[in-house]
Amino acid sequence: MSTVMVITPIIIANWPAITAAVAAAVGTMGFAALQETEVTSRVGTATAREEIDLEDSEILQTTAGTGEEIVVERDGIRAIFSRDARGQLKLCIEGGGLSKSQLRKLGEELIGRVTQQYAYHRIVTELKERNMTIVDEQITQDQTVKIRVRNW
Amino acid sequence: MAQEELEITIDAQGRVQVRTIGIKGARCLDYAEALARILGREESRQLTSEYYEVEQTTRSHIDVKQRR
Repeated sequence: MSTVMVITPIIIANWPAITAAVAAAVGTMGFAALQETEVTSRVGTATAREEIDLEDSEILQTTAGTGEEIVVERDGIRAIFSRDARGQLKLCIEGGGLSKSQLRKLGEELIGRVTQQYAYHRIVTELKERNMTIVDEQITQDQTVKIRVRNW
Repeated sequence: MAQEELEITIDAQGRVQVRTIGIKGARCLDYAEALARILGREESRQLTSEYYEVEQTTRSHIDVKQRR
């Protein structure tokens, strides 16, 4: 018997922390980050494009200022993560010959994975500060991460 | 003292579920609430019979008082 609590994470982080979460998340979905020199060639203008703003997010302004973005690609599908004017995490996704609804579905999946990675790192950091020990960690087939923690 | 554990799951949408195991009384909520505070928004909580159990140490203390 136990207490069970469900929590929806709100991403509050600076850009380097977001970059780390995005890099870890997109890797699990087969996307690879593009270098700055590769970003100039845009995916064809005729392709569909979707934009998703993550309401539950706040990207803290750093001295680097605006213009921060991460571009990742898989099979001609390009996803661009950036900080929007309101300071939220924004994802633009385009290409791959996919329809707008297919792109939205994929984009939401990507955002979900980024949130998952962010939550994972926050939790693990907090547990270490409390001197708690992770005794088991698994990733299930549906990509759920399961962690068991002991107090001593 | 009984073994105390947390079972944490983070699904592919990022939703987190924290389950306490072997932690009795209101203290079991402390752990879950601490994680909720650093992560974001608590969506739901479910208290089961273990929450209403009193920890052994507290019960011993009451016994001593009653004998006086």
